[in-house]
Parts: sequence; C-alpha cells; structure tokens
Amino acid sequence: MPWYLYLALKQLFPTGRRFPFFTAISILGVALGVAVLVISTSVMGGFGHEIRRWTVETTGDVQVRADDGAINNPAEFLAQLTKIPGVVAATPFAEGYVMLEHGLKPAFPVVQGIDVDRVSGVIPLEHYIHYGSLADLDDDSIILSVQLAMAVGARVGDKVEIHTPLEYEKFKNDEVLVPRELRVTGIFEIGHPALDSSLVLVTLRTMQDLYGRRGSVDGFNLKISPGLDADTAAARINAALPPALHGHARSWMEINHDLIFIIQLEQNMIFFLLTFIIIVAAFSVTSSLLISVVRKTREIGLLGALGGQPRQVAACFCFQGFIIGLGGTIAGFGLGFTVLHFRNGIIYLFTRLTQSEAALARFYQFKELPRYSDPSYMIAIVVCTIVICTLAGLLPAWGAARLKPVEALRSE
Amino acid sequence: MSEPVLSACGLTKSFLSGDRRIEVLRGIDLEVVAGESVSIRGESGSGKSTLLNLLSGLDTPETGTLAWAGAPAQGGRRAEFLGMVFQSFYLIPEIDAFQNVLMAARMRKVPGQAERARALEMIARVGLTERARHLPGQMSGGERQRVAVARALMNSPRLLLADEPTGNLDEHTGDAVIELLLGLCRETQTALVLVTHNAAYAQKTNRQLFLREGKLSHG
Ligand SMILES: Nc1ncnc2c1ncn2[C@@H]1O[C@H](COP(=O)(O)OP(=O)(O)OP(=O)(O)O)[C@@H](O)[C@H]1O
Ligand SMILES: [Mg+2]
Repeated sequence: MPWYLYLALKQLFPTGRRFPFFTAISILGVALGVAVLVISTSVMGGFGHEIRRWTVETTGDVQVRADDGAINNPAEFLAQLTKIPGVVAATPFAEGYVMLEHGLKPAFPVVQGIDVDRVSGVIPLEHYIHYGSLADLDDDSIILSVQLAMAVGARVGDKVEIHTPLEYEKFKNDEVLVPRELRVTGIFEIGHPALDSSLVLVTLRTMQDLYGRRGSVDGFNLKISPGLDADTAAARINAALPPALHGHARSWMEINHDLIFIIQLEQNMIFFLLTFIIIVAAFSVTSSLLISVVRKTREIGLLGALGGQPRQVAACFCFQGFIIGLGGTIAGFGLGFTVLHFRNGIIYLFTRLTQSEAALARFYQFKELPRYSDPSYMIAIVVCTIVICTLAGLLPAWGAARLKPVEALRSE
Repeated sequence: MSEPVLSACGLTKSFLSGDRRIEVLRGIDLEVVAGESVSIRGESGSGKSTLLNLLSGLDTPETGTLAWAGAPAQGGRRAEFLGMVFQSFYLIPEIDAFQNVLMAARMRKVPGQAERARALEMIARVGLTERARHLPGQMSGGERQRVAVARALMNSPRLLLADEPTGNLDEHTGDAVIELLLGLCRETQTALVLVTHNAAYAQKTNRQLFLREGKLSHG
C-alpha cells in the first residue's frame, strides 16, 4: 500500500485505539444519511411495485377495450387476440355498478363479470380468494371483496340481493321489481383497500343478465409471454388487430401512467432531497479533516521532509474522505436493510403509539409497508455517497498540499 | 579525496519582514565528504535552520548552487539521499515506533520483508527493541528522538542533517543521542551536518563551523 493510503488508514484507525472517535462519528453521520436514503427509496420503490402487482394481477399485463363502448362479438375478437404472437392468454370481462344489499345494509360496488374458465390463465384470482373458491362461482353466485363483505356482514353461503340500473328501466315500465339473489361463494382480498372494498365478481353471463347486455363484453384482459415488455406487446396488438374490430390495447403502465409518473417523481425528489443529508454529513467530515490538517501541520511538514510529494499528501486526505464514505455506505446499507427488514414491526409500533393504523391504510392504500430496493437507486446511493465524501476530503487535501514543508515545520 | 557528498556554493537567502529585507545567508560555501561530521554553531536567529533547509532542498536559495553527490539537488531524490533530525521529533502519533521508522522506506516504495528487517535493525541500533510496538505518546523525549534518528538513517542516506537534535532533551539524554548519532554516522560512513548550541557536542565532530552574519567561518 502506498504510504499516503497507509497513513490515511492509520489516521482514521490509529494503532491500538479500539474506538477512534472522530472516525466513528463521521462514519455514523454518513451512515445515517445513507440509511434514510435506502429506506425511503426502497419504500417508494415498494409502492411502485405494489401498484404493478395489483394492476397486473387484476387487469393483466395488457387490457383491450373497444374504441366505442361494448364489444358485441367477443368470440371473434378473442379468436383474433389469441392469434397474435406474444399473447399467452386472454379473458373477457364486463363491468358496471350495482347496489348490493345484505340484511338491511347496502353497498355500491363495481361488479365485474368474468369468464370462470379463462380468467385463471391471466389473473391469479384463486390466490386472493381466502374463503370459498373460484370454482364454485356459477350463474347464481357471487364473490365479494373482503372489506365489502365485512361492511354488509355477508359470509360464504349467505345470500345477497343485487339491484341494477336495469330495474329502474323496468320500474318505469311499471314492471314488478325483482332483485337478483346471489349466493356468496367466495371472499377475496387483494391487499389494496380500494379494490378490497368496492369490487364484486360474478360470471360473465350473470353480469350480462344484470345489465341486459345480450352477450357483449367491455374488453379483454391479456397475459403476455414473460420477458416481453407490456408496452411493446400493446403496440404489437394494436398493429395486429383488424381495424374492423375497433379494439385498442393499453399496457398496465399506460393505464396507470399518472400514478406511476407521480411515484417515480416522488422517488426522484426524495432521492434528491435526502442526498442533502449526505452532503451535510460530508460538510462535517470536511470540517473535521480541516481541523486535522491544522493540528497535523508539523507532521505534514515532516512528510515533505521525508520526501512526500504534495499530491501524495493531498491523496492522503482525499482517501480519508473516501474511506469515511465507504464505511458510511456499508454501515448505512446495513442499518437501512435492517430497518427495512423490521419495517412492519416498526410501523405497527408507531401506529399503535399514535393510533393511526386506519389513517395509514386509508392514505397509502396499504396495510403493510411495501419494499422494493431498486438496484439502480441503490447503485446511485453508493456512487453519490462515495463521490460526495471523497469531495469532502478535497478542501482539506488542498490545504495540506499547499503547506510548504519549511513553513509547516517552523509552525508552533 | 573522494567526491563530496554535499557541495554548496554561494547560497544566499533573505526574508521579507514587513517592508525590510533581512539578508539571512549571504553566500554560503560548504563541502562535506562521506563519513565526515561537521558542526555548525551560531546565535539564535543567525540562520542555521534556514541553511539546513536549503541544504535539504526543502527550501530554495535565491542564488548559488547545491549538489548532492555531484548531481544537482532535486526534491525527488531527497528520500534516498538524506535523512533529517529536528529539535522536535515529529513522529507520527497514530503509528508505533517500528512503523514510524518504516515510514521512511514506505515513502520510497511499498515495504517488503527486507525493509521490515532493516527497520527492526535500526530500532535495535538505537536500543529500542523493547519499545518497537509502542506509540510515540508512550515514550520519553529521548526515546522519541532515538526513533527519529533511526527513521532518518532507515534508508541508508549519504547525508544526515540534524537541527539541534538535543534541544528538547536533558543533558544526559542529549549526550546519549549525540553519541548515537555520531557513532552511527561513523559506522555507516554517513556525512553529518549537526547544528548545535553545545560546544562540547561540536568538539566531537571533525570540523567546527560558525554561522555569523550570513557566512560560515572556522573557529
Ligand atoms: N519564513 C520566514 N519568514 C521571515 N523570516 C524568517 C523566515 N524564516 C526565518 N526567518 C528569519 O531568518 C532568521 C534566521 O532564522 P533561523 O530559524 O534560520 O535561525 P536559527 O539560527 O535556526 O535560530 P535558532 O538557533 O533560534 O533556531 C531569523 O531572523 C528569522 O526571523
Ligand atoms: Mg533553528
């Protein structure tokens, strides 16, 4: 090891000293900044990932809808779709609003008609059904989302009444109002409060009946082959669909474009703002190293007398900044990942103490804090921290290199 | 007679103090050959330290020429050509005695087994084998100056410049350090320029010079 690197290490970690105070404090300062960065970008990344999960797992990778409302020839449409290379599976859906009543409690969910045979190829629905099963869904039954089921007090096996806008039409024609009665065969929970409180699933045929749609659907959810980018796939589908079908495909990213954009923006802003924590920590490193240069003036003069070159003396101090940056990064990642690992326990404690569990779920739409440590952010954190800390050593290094050995040795 | 290790010719140096120029050195001629020891005495402020700084190449003269072993003095050659001992010991406090001595070798190249052995040998020569692993803060002034001497001689320099090496030591310890310096230099045929206030120490050198009014003189 060249002498200046050796000396840099020794100044940070002097021989025989267990706990070099200056070094520990400097590294800790940087580490705290890094930990905060790691935690917040990971949690933000987790939000992004959750959005991806629940959109892809509820609408598929790509969704195709008709340009003008309903698709009246779903069989033909489906045949065309499945012919397109890259489309692994497709399932039709039809949706609308209904009033659901159980006991005397009403709810106004979105009802989605699904093709029980096809849906599993696109959306892992069974995975989210906690009570009952998808296989039991027939034309006289319904699957409720968990929050909604709780709100109206319905359980598997109970009967619920469904009122649709169609009844209103009948009412105008003086017909008798007969709400549709459906049996609850399952309850699902996706983990997203909005979906978990306002969605119910029925068969496609039931949905068509409820709305009097005579076989039309609203669109198709598609699964595309793994590895294929959803945007590319959507573009390919748009190019391949016969114009006569008037279909338009959109990827899950396009559908959630605004949300994804905002999350990305927030993630970037957080990264940008929190980088200042590291800059502040770096300033304290600079001032400590400056003090050390002043304190060691005579030794630095001696290094010159022993034959050290000014740029080597400078390297010695820059390297100290680098080591602090490196140590801070490692410690910060350790700390950050530890906190992330126990994040739910920590959040739980926090919300218990502040009694804000409900608020958390309501505002952030999550019951558990998601986490995704995007490698590109992690790399950016490492690089920024080390660069900033090395730069922090620059001013002291320059000061040290400027010292003339003769004057340094003369100084008292 | 062999080629001089050090040859200075017509060195001058002045300092600006306020708007007055103080002519500290007004033409120094000095030649020192291998194995020779030279003492320089002079009043405080006469320019002894200034002269040593010129001889070591740490400072540049206004006029005059300086040659080390016949070739012009250059900063890059300093580490291998000469060693220095000062009134203050200037040991690096974070590393032990052994590493302080080894530092001189480290400045030139990454030390290997040979350099480590040499550093241990130098420590032994100054009688500090027991103290090799001690930090400067754990040693007395005399011991620290001995470490500094070992460091100065670590690279087997051709020339040793000592600026009042006993200035911070009591008489007894000072005697020991001077004996050590002279002995080691004689043994290794290292030329020595010793700045001292002590006439007794000066007497022990081959040649006694005085610095007065910017010039060197005998007796
Ligand atoms: N960098 C400088 N700037 C201004 N004046 C200086 C500088 N260096 C030395 N001098 C002046 O040069 C003169 C000689 O100084 P020097 O340190 O060489 O004396 P010295 O003989 O070593 O004295 P002492 O025995 O006290 O160590 C002094 O008057 C000092 O004030
Ligand atoms: Mg002096």
